[in-house]
Amino acid sequence: MTAPAPTAGAVYDRGYRPYEGPRGGRRAATAALFRTSLRRAIGLRRPWRQKVAPAVLLAIAAVPAVVNVGIGYLTRDSPAEGFSFFSYREYLGVSSALLLFVALVAPDIVCPDRRQRVLPLIFARPLTGADYALAKIGTIFTCVFAFAFLPQVVLYVGQMLVSDGALDYFTDNTDVLVKVPVAAAVLALFYAALGVAVASLTTRRIVAGASILGITLVSSTVSAILLGARRGQGPGDGDLAALVNLLALPLRVRDLIFLGRLHEESPLSGVAGGGALAIACYVAVVALCIGVVLARYRSVET
Amino acid sequence: MSSIVRARGLTKRYPGVTALDGVDLDLPAGRVGLVGANGAGKTTLFRLLLGLTRPDEGAVEVCGSSVADDPIGVRSQIGYMPEHDCLPLDQTAADVVATFGELGGLPVRVARQRASEVLDLVGLDEARFRPVGGFSTGMRQRAKLAQALVADPRLVLLDEPTAGLDPSGREEMLALVDRLGSFGIAVVLATHLLDDVARVCDHVVMLDAGRLVTDAPTTSLLHQTGTVTVDVGPGGAEALVGRLAARGLAVALDERAMAEVTVAGDADLDAIRDAVAELGLPLHRLTNRLTSLDEAFVHRADQA
Repeated sequence: MTAPAPTAGAVYDRGYRPYEGPRGGRRAATAALFRTSLRRAIGLRRPWRQKVAPAVLLAIAAVPAVVNVGIGYLTRDSPAEGFSFFSYREYLGVSSALLLFVALVAPDIVCPDRRQRVLPLIFARPLTGADYALAKIGTIFTCVFAFAFLPQVVLYVGQMLVSDGALDYFTDNTDVLVKVPVAAAVLALFYAALGVAVASLTTRRIVAGASILGITLVSSTVSAILLGARRGQGPGDGDLAALVNLLALPLRVRDLIFLGRLHEESPLSGVAGGGALAIACYVAVVALCIGVVLARYRSVET
Repeated sequence: MSSIVRARGLTKRYPGVTALDGVDLDLPAGRVGLVGANGAGKTTLFRLLLGLTRPDEGAVEVCGSSVADDPIGVRSQIGYMPEHDCLPLDQTAADVVATFGELGGLPVRVARQRASEVLDLVGLDEARFRPVGGFSTGMRQRAKLAQALVADPRLVLLDEPTAGLDPSGREEMLALVDRLGSFGIAVVLATHLLDDVARVCDHVVMLDAGRLVTDAPTTSLLHQTGTVTVDVGPGGAEALVGRLAARGLAVALDERAMAEVTVAGDADLDAIRDAVAELGLPLHRLTNRLTSLDEAFVHRADQA
């Protein structure tokens, strides 16, 4: 009987295989950059420490809605005195978790590309500075939209369940199905443009994050001081100082979407054409921020 | 051989300096060495080829497409490996390379598969799931090469790929570059190390202060010098030099401690053979010494 041939180990050089399948262009590259940035923003494929912040901030944004709906559901047969569901308008955009999220994540998806000199590699691929800006702003927009929108879904579904008739609640509140996503988009676009614009101006994440918080909070404080100086003088053009408040500016537009007018507690409500001014300021700030981002990535130095 | 890069009158000026001055190029689709001192215009040429900056004068075509008219189309056919560190440090090599594959237009699944294959090719298969920030310089250079290759480019631009590498790392990188030609990928290797170009490139472009000095096949620049280099291993060269000098041959030790002998004919070669045998030395190698690219560069730059 012949002995079996010894099994010899072998190292195979798999070499190089050319790719002959479909290949995307600018749109595919932009979508790829968006996906990569989104994964980074929410901590996917990153150490657990990087997942904590988005999860906590989403929880902060959503937990009040869950608690509110939970109380409403548990007490649906004997409603507690003074209890009411949050209104969609009030709940949208009031959480500082959204601003904190933008201050944390916008620098994280923008600054390292410049600091670690990844930009020349990115722009050696088939995409332009405008595509890069679109992908980055789109990432923050998507995250903020989701963080603002999901609690609204909780509120809507919860109230539908608590109501006497789910279908009746649905038919009575169809306007909300349009107003909520539009208002959430308005809010998300503002935060995304502002956050990415500020982050594009520095390579240091900590500086960018502090600047985003600082710009919004300082503008809010300045606005409050200017309005406080006019206290007791009644409505007038001096209330235009409310437009300086970047923290509240998207909320004014939100009010216009939900109410069709400015809220009576808004200082701008006493100004002729206050709503139009709020929209104009909103558009101007978003356009300025997008312009800054485009200018920053129009020419990329290696 | 068809031109992979064609430039005419390419000029790029920055404030106070002309980075490229009326350069005409016809680079064949092989392995091309782009040599020149720091500031010669190599990186500027790469930026022009990628469409990342516009020329002040002239035009350039890559893979048959005008960079000015279709920069996106051109970039989709090029892989680029910059000189400096340029990889996201907190991501794994697999993620980084796959991401750049997707950015190059590959579908997601294909990009991940090719990232795995290309990391294997460059010798990073076992390190693919480690963050790039923990890589050595040699590993980072390999990862940079992998991201340049992952989207299967027709042309790769390598900017100083052996910079910062130790001798063995340099050898391995040059071996990888050497292999790219056999994969059908055109290579432009920018370096100031002329030895690297002589090792792996078929064609040489020399730039000096933004001006084209030479655009020619490597072999046309290397001429026989009438001397031979004799490698008898460590320790034996000095004895051989003494023996050959005693026989009346013009001989000296070169910078690598090898005997360099001026030969006039076969009789001198026989004398070398006999001297090695008499000394009982191992004859590892006996080669005609060619002019180095350094000598060619200096000569041509002086002429220019």
